[in-house]
Amino acid sequence: MSDYHLNKLLFDTAGRHRMVESIADEAELAPYDLTAEEREALRDGDLARLYELGANPYLIRRVFRPRFKI
Amino acid sequence: MGAIVAGCLTSHAPNITAKPVIADPAQRVRFVAGLEEMRRRLRAARPDVLVVFANDHLQNFFYDNMPAVCVGVAERYWAPSKGGAEFLRVPARQIAGARDWAKAFVHAGLEQGFDLAYAHELEFWDDVSVPLHFLLPDADVPIVPILINCVAPPLPRPRRSYELGAFVQAFIEDARPRAERVALLGSGGISHWIGVPDHGRINPEFDRRVLDAIREGRGETLAFWSHDEIEKEGGNGGQEIRNWIAVLGALHGKKGDVLAYEPVTDWLTGCGAVWMDV
Repeated sequence: MSDYHLNKLLFDTAGRHRMVESIADEAELAPYDLTAEEREALRDGDLARLYELGANPYLIRRVFRPRFKI
Repeated sequence: MGAIVAGCLTSHAPNITAKPVIADPAQRVRFVAGLEEMRRRLRAARPDVLVVFANDHLQNFFYDNMPAVCVGVAERYWAPSKGGAEFLRVPARQIAGARDWAKAFVHAGLEQGFDLAYAHELEFWDDVSVPLHFLLPDADVPIVPILINCVAPPLPRPRRSYELGAFVQAFIEDARPRAERVALLGSGGISHWIGVPDHGRINPEFDRRVLDAIREGRGETLAFWSHDEIEKEGGNGGQEIRNWIAVLGALHGKKGDVLAYEPVTDWLTGCGAVWMDV
């Protein structure tokens, strides 16, 4: 189940208290077994797509905090 | 035979303490007044221990090992932890855990067929810290946190929360020393949509249905809702109603006194505070 790795990336990122608009850095993505679709959504910071792909909304909220007005 | 001397239901949200002033001032004043009344009543009930039904927000647990129900058996907890304190904007503090109570409860569960996970270390964010900021400002009652998975589906069904509450009630009645006074707190909900495409939505109509059922002593009806019904009407944050349902299960058929209800858009949550008859 690949969305495990997507969530693991977000969990690890949140654990470092890192808040971003998108994640495109290869070095950051490399340790995780991600699909092309997941990488694209991370690179675009496409939150709705990440949610569709199985990213946990609480992790979306934490990692992509700058994308939310409130 | 111990006794349940108080039942409290409250919402939690980081902005309640982090950004109080972004809320409509009248709403803020009314909601906080409800919590202050709850604090006075809780204090008057003189509890020896406070059992807190709440949920992790993926700060303790991850998908590598996700408990449906996990009991804290630690001697003390950070509530909030240093990390939590930063975004909740209240000082980090420690609160004592009622460790012997918690361990006895886990044993009772495993002996009697209610399989419970347990944890010797937990850190809390708004889940436990925001209600306790208002209800236990002096952190002077030891707590037993019972964390129900409300955020990482698949979730235990709401009915299980009701059964869990009933099991807690039976444990207090059958296994605890005479004259022990136990307070219960359910922290979460009511409706909110967090991190999903509808982020920021609140559904006051759903919230009123929840509150009306509790006010009329029909709390058990909440336990029959499905995951999908809650998700649709109460949002992904509405799944936290499981924490309230556990208290309702411990106080089967009892009525609640709604001390405050405010759908606070800028706190991203339908904010309720209910004092239960015991």
